Amino acid sequence: MLVTWRYRPRKSLIQSFDPRAWIIFFLCYIACTVLFWDLRYLLVLFAMALVAVFTSGIKWHEMRRAWLFIGGFILFFSFLTLLTGRGGIELYKEEHIIRRLTAGFTLLGWRPTLVLSAERIAYAVAMMVRVFSLASMTILIPYSLNPALYGVTFRGLGLPDKVAYGMDLTMRFIPSFGRDFQLTMDAQRARGYELEKISGGLFAQVRKLAPLIVPVTIHAIVASEDIIDAMDLRAFGVGPRTWVDELHYRPRDRALIAFGVGMLLVCIALSLWGFGKFWVPDFLLRLAQ
Amino acid sequence: MDKRLRSILFSLIGVLVFFLLIVWIGGLINPNLQLDETGVLRFVFVGIGLLIVFVIYALTRTSPVWEVGTREVVYMAIGAALYAVLSFLFNGTVFAVPSVSQVALRPAIAIPMFFGYAFGPVVGFFSGAVGNMFGDALTGFGLSPQWSIGNGLVGFVAGLVHLFKDKKRSVDAVLIASALLAALATVIFFVNRNVPNMMFFDPEAGIFGDATISLFAGLSAVVGFVLVLLVRFLFGQNLDVVAAVTWSLLGNFLGIGFAAISDIWINGYPPAVAIVGEFLPAAGPNAIFAAILVPLLVVAFASVQRQTGR
Repeated sequence: MLVTWRYRPRKSLIQSFDPRAWIIFFLCYIACTVLFWDLRYLLVLFAMALVAVFTSGIKWHEMRRAWLFIGGFILFFSFLTLLTGRGGIELYKEEHIIRRLTAGFTLLGWRPTLVLSAERIAYAVAMMVRVFSLASMTILIPYSLNPALYGVTFRGLGLPDKVAYGMDLTMRFIPSFGRDFQLTMDAQRARGYELEKISGGLFAQVRKLAPLIVPVTIHAIVASEDIIDAMDLRAFGVGPRTWVDELHYRPRDRALIAFGVGMLLVCIALSLWGFGKFWVPDFLLRLAQ
Repeated sequence: MDKRLRSILFSLIGVLVFFLLIVWIGGLINPNLQLDETGVLRFVFVGIGLLIVFVIYALTRTSPVWEVGTREVVYMAIGAALYAVLSFLFNGTVFAVPSVSQVALRPAIAIPMFFGYAFGPVVGFFSGAVGNMFGDALTGFGLSPQWSIGNGLVGFVAGLVHLFKDKKRSVDAVLIASALLAALATVIFFVNRNVPNMMFFDPEAGIFGDATISLFAGLSAVVGFVLVLLVRFLFGQNLDVVAAVTWSLLGNFLGIGFAAISDIWINGYPPAVAIVGEFLPAAGPNAIFAAILVPLLVVAFASVQRQTGR
């Protein structure tokens, strides 16, 4: 049995648009976000994401688990970035050190040292804002896009019928397989399998993952026979496909697409002119003096 | 070449020309423009990856492996969804590999490998590319489309085995190619072993994270290859298992290699850093997953096929 995302019709900004228009805007937004490293530009984009979140009509208790997981993940990696400067050296060549903390011990001859520099802090914050912006916009989609419209949306975006239907099924299967994975893990736990206590070397760990990965995969393939039969009985792929629901652009949808594309062009132009590169606030530089 | 093929080819070339024009025009506007800073280069490599797929398709388009029916559409979706879910679970809940960028141990890579081998290159490519895209979106990893294409190539290459009539001979050729690639990456590791910038790319400051990758990580491609070689000889009588792991290994080296090498231009890594700090930590463990998990999936699937007759 398929499990669905927690979609329901809501009075929200996102759902007031044609899903194709929102997806186009979403793609433009993502492309804009990855063009910049300047925190000031990223904050503008982040504000747009917050508008989308707060007007989405999705209650906190509905999205709590997703936010906690993704938020925790992003905070963890941002903290790691702050500690290590990982990835930042692509953007800055020198560091203005605010504080250097050196451990009083060594590990295999290496003395752990923590450097807090103006650039490192600015980069970690920019990274966090950037990824939060992307995640905030992405997380809304499964809650706001009607599963019945997945296929016609992707088809309407120009994908061939089979690819559009493949994308449709992919989005439908994800929550179902997530549930299957959880069920399989519970079933294996009942037999004494404990994922949390996976021990041994790399090979042993990989081998121990098999009781989770193999049953879920094989079950998915076996269960797909019903779907394949149902599609074959409806002559899937024999000719051009029609869809039960039809989508029609309204002026507000065209306006959203125009806004998204315009925003992308402006962002590309700004980027080409050298705006939006990595920026370190003055107060951080002053702290380093 | 029919009209449809021509239109796809022209579209791909058009995309590449568009981005190259941006490079050219951008250079005129801003002489100091570094394209990697704009993020545009990511999409150039998406175009290059798709062009590689398309060229292979165009050269072998008469083969039945390119047929996409109902079954393939459903398997594409299953592969992509499974890969996304497992990537989400393992990206977030297991652990990241020390490397120059965000690399996680990903046993889920066995999914596009297996789907590519079992159901063909189209299914493998879709499973890897779309699954990685959804998996990254679910995890909050952001946008790395060239890595999605790289993951797609893993499944795609695994499925190319079906282009060969004699699987056994293809296996031997693939093993030789994989051995060369593993040896090359390992030699690059040893030549650059003392370069202390492979983990966090911060060699000058002498700070936390400033270290080389471990010897095991550096040898992981060879370890993976040796495991596959063992499978080749221990399961020699089961050609399906042997072909699946060897082609998956090659797909892994080529797909992850494509993504890692693209970061030479996208992220500005020196070639040694891209190979040692990114390719080896990703492709090495993947090779081990290929050697252990793919045979299990192949054997389980063969058993199901025998029972259901499909």
